[in-house]
This record gives sequence, structure tokens and C-alpha cells, in this order.
Amino acid sequence: MREPPYPVELKPYGRALVELARRRGEILCLSGDLTRQTEVDLFQAEFPERFIHGGMAEANMMSMAGALARCGFVPFVHTFGVFATRRPFDQIANAIAYPNLPVRIIGFMPGVSTPGGPSHQAIDDVALMRALPNMTVVDVADAVETRQVVPAIADLPGPVYVRLKRGEIPVMFGPDHELRLDRADVVVAGTDVALFASGMMLAAALAASQVLGGAGVSVSVINVPVIKPLDSATVLSAAAGARLAVTAENHSVIGGLGSAVAETIAEAGLGRPLRRIGLRDTFAEGSLDAPYLFGRYGLSVAAVIETIWSALGRPGPAPLAPAAATGSGEYSPV
Amino acid sequence: MRVSDPGTAWTVPDPRELALRIRLRAVRMVAPQGFGYLGQALSSAEQVAAVFATARPGVDRIVCSPGHYIIGPFAAAAELGLIDLSGYAQNGSVFEAIGTERSPVVDYTCGSLGQGLSAAAGFALADRFRGSAARIFTMVSDGELEEGQVWEAALFAAHHRLDRLVVLLDANNSQVDGPVDSITTLEPIAAKWSAFGWRVSDLDGHDVSGLCAALGAAAGGGQPSVLVCRTSTRHGLDCLPPEADGHFIKLPPALADAAVRELTGRLEALRA
Repeated sequence: MREPPYPVELKPYGRALVELARRRGEILCLSGDLTRQTEVDLFQAEFPERFIHGGMAEANMMSMAGALARCGFVPFVHTFGVFATRRPFDQIANAIAYPNLPVRIIGFMPGVSTPGGPSHQAIDDVALMRALPNMTVVDVADAVETRQVVPAIADLPGPVYVRLKRGEIPVMFGPDHELRLDRADVVVAGTDVALFASGMMLAAALAASQVLGGAGVSVSVINVPVIKPLDSATVLSAAAGARLAVTAENHSVIGGLGSAVAETIAEAGLGRPLRRIGLRDTFAEGSLDAPYLFGRYGLSVAAVIETIWSALGRPGPAPLAPAAATGSGEYSPV
Repeated sequence: MRVSDPGTAWTVPDPRELALRIRLRAVRMVAPQGFGYLGQALSSAEQVAAVFATARPGVDRIVCSPGHYIIGPFAAAAELGLIDLSGYAQNGSVFEAIGTERSPVVDYTCGSLGQGLSAAAGFALADRFRGSAARIFTMVSDGELEEGQVWEAALFAAHHRLDRLVVLLDANNSQVDGPVDSITTLEPIAAKWSAFGWRVSDLDGHDVSGLCAALGAAAGGGQPSVLVCRTSTRHGLDCLPPEADGHFIKLPPALADAAVRELTGRLEALRA
């Protein structure tokens, strides 16, 4: 893995989709009035005949996508994560998930990565999609995984929800990294704490693990890009090898990664204390910038460190997170 | 504060001047960030001014369906001395760039589009239950007409003869992906509302006198009313470059200065 600050890429998803579509004529691209924002202006430019403007009409778009999939097409449907999940939930359930059709729902702008306020912040999209039978739910961490997720989901027989960061995407993994839909990855090995992270919180988890390591707390970091179906074997072995399990997600603590890990640990009778880092059953707010929200809603490196420090009952103040010196064209966790 | 709170008071001596001041205020609100929903303010300035000139303070309601338009009601309320907008769009401010539940001034707004007309119908029902004759002035954007919920609300309001409901439909032909008519054919807009059982006026949305007259005559008669306001997201600000994106305008310092100069000049000319 690289070290922060990470270099960033623009439109890794959009390029990967174009590449896949060059090989696969059955791939269609639908956009809900957010074409450039979801990187599929690239698809529209190269395959205008396979690009469909759904307009601002998500319910209609999802039901149509289901019918397109019934006819042998593989529709990739694009909008922000909020509008992809809350608004057309019933249509996704009945037209896509229940008939188990290969529609790929791509929701950009996860959690509080947008300062646009509660109407634009997808804090429950993972929970909603995870609750639907047949749905695969993916929350990737970086540009390498973003590029790989597109071909990885191409041939799944059922529906998939992928949540993707918008804009500048950090490159965290090396070129040899392989995203697998059936596997969570232990990216750092440790003995005291098993820290499970998905999506944008992987960077914060890695930074926290490093700081805590320096203070004598050994933290393993497990990247969980696929929240459903969860790789329960890796989750259980990592949790079993630690005194404390912690989850970190840019999402509500209800229904997402934290819930999935809690259910798995509890059902196995493992009995590890658990802390869930995420939005504490609250809507967030609009702001000038996203880093402010990551700080305010407990998603910072410092918050991860403090959560682990206090859960372990360590004396004294938690070690400080290093100030991120991040230049233009770079990404560091908040 | 909300405009419908009992005891709220303001006067609008000249709606034309208020429209200009909304534009100037909106430029000053957006300038510190260097970007924002200025196009929505430019497009709706006359509609907002006409609503504030027509609404009875402390009685009538304002619904701002597209949360991205909240800049207009905020600017108007600040110009009328009803709120202090300091901190607009900054971290921690209740004056968020996209309207939320914390947003003052209006009775309802939502950044998830296409939901405001249903809220307006709910207010109209509540007012009917309570015996109130408040009017509900409801800002809706043409892009929102792509959402099916708007038409569900339109059907409901006409069926239930919610004639205190008055929609100002900002037909600026602008949405994120480009001109609305390049994404979805909405026309004939007026005929659609008429077919849904609404009283319709189709008018120049930058003619503030025409808007005031239409608003004054709108409520009542057993049908909800809609004013189809033909507008542009660039109206009244000539210094905007031709490539400015109507949904989200970038306003670097030099352009902000030019915009303030232009609008200040217009205001002085109007007052002279």
C-alpha cells in the first residue's frame, strides 16, 4: 500500500466503464441528470447510442432498467447515492432485486463526502440496499478498486449497488492489488484490535492504526469493500485474533458495515466488545466543505484513535493524529 | 423566523428594486465561496420579489420546493431586514447553500427535488382543517416536473380544489445535464397543468409587475393556480461568461467584483 498523502485520479470509474463497454455490447448506461458528476460523460461521448438520459426521474429509471435487464441488457444506472436508493427504493425492490436482475446501481457521493446537506448525503444507502434480498453491496476504498469493481461485477447474475466517491479519487493500493467480491482483506496485521473499514474510511483506519501502533496498541486493519455478501470467515478470524472489534464507515452506524460485522460476530458467539464508528443515528448538515463534516460527525483519524483508546481503557489522553499536510492533487484522511 | 410566523412584518415598496437587490445580495452571498446557486437567484429574483410583495406577513406561506433556490428567499429576507445572513454557506451556518430543515424564512424546502408541491398541498389541507385562508406560494422548478411526484401532487390539489395553492413554476429550461428540453420534453407545460385541472397563466418571469398582478389574482375560484414563469438563469447579469453553468455558477473574485459593479449601477439607475 502507498503512504498518505495519496495521489489522486479523476474519473477512474468512468474510464473503466468505457473499457468494459468496448468489449461488451449489452452494457447500457443510464444517467439521472448527473452525467458529468457520475463520470459517465465519458461513456456518453464514446457510445451515445447506448447512453440513456433518464432525467430527474429515478423511480422510472429503475423500473426501466429492470425491464432492460429482462431483455438481456446489463444496465448501469447512475446518480448520487441518495437519489439511487431512497427515492426509488420500492422500484428497486420490485423491478430489480426481487426478480434478481443484473442491474448495476452506481451511487456517487457517499455519506458526508458532500457538503450539500442531508438531502444529498447518502448516510443510509448501504443499509437500504443491504436489506434487499439478492443485492450485492460494494463500497470501495480507492481508484485501484474502483477500476477493478467494474469488470468484477460485470457477470454477476443478480443486482449490485456500488457506492463511489465523487471527484478526486485517492490511489491507495499498489498495482498488484486484486479486488475480490468474496473476500475482505487484512491489509495490516495486529493483535489487540481488529479494525474493519469500508470505502472512504479505509484511509482513516490505516492512519489511526499507524498512530496507535506507535503508542503500543497493535491494530489490524481489514478492508471490507463488499458489505454484502460479507466475507464472514475473514471477519471472524480477524475478530477472534483481537480483544476489540471496531468498524469504521462513512455511513450511519445502523444497517451498514457496523451492523453486518456485529451480526456476524454475535451469531458466531464470539463475544468481542464492538465499537461502531459512523454517523451516530443522526442526519448531518450542509457546510462549506466535507472535511469539516468528517470532523464534526466523528469520522476523523482522531475519532478512530480516541474510540479505540477509550474502548481499551488506556490511561491518559489518546495519541494525537498527525496533521495532514496535503497538497493540491493529493488526498489524506481528515 | 418564517414569513408565516404571526407578528412577522415587512413591506415591499418597489418589487422591481427588491428583485435587483436580491440579485446583488445573491452575488455577495456566493462571492466568498467563489461558487454557488447564483443562477437560481438570477432566474427567480422577480418571482421571489413578487411573492414577498404579495404575501401577507404572518399569514401566507412560502414553500421553496427546490432547495437549491433557497438563496432567493434568504436574499429577500435579508434585504427586508428579517434575517442576518452572516456566515451564509460557511461551516456551521444554518444558512446552508441547499435548503434543509434548519433553513429559516420559508415554511418548507427540500434539496431532494420534486417534493415541495406535496408539502404545499399538505399545508393547504391543514389550513383548510383549521379554517385559515392563508395562501401557499410555492416555488417549483421546471426540472422538477420530470419527477413523477409533482404530478401526483398536481392531481391531488386539483381534485381537492386546493385553491389557496399558488405555484410559481420557474421555467428556465436549465438542469444539471443541460437544457431541460434536451433531456425531457415538457412542453406544452401550460396545457399539461390546465389538463390537470389548474388555472394557468403563462408569462414573462422577469416582468415583476406582471407577476405581482397575476399573483394578486391567483388564489380562489375552486382551482389551484400555476404561473408558468419564463425565465433565464443569466437574466440581469450581463457580465456572466457565456459558458456559465446555470445550475452551479463559478464566481471568482474578478467576476464577483464585476457583478457587484454591474448590479450596483443598475440599482443606482433605478433609484435615480
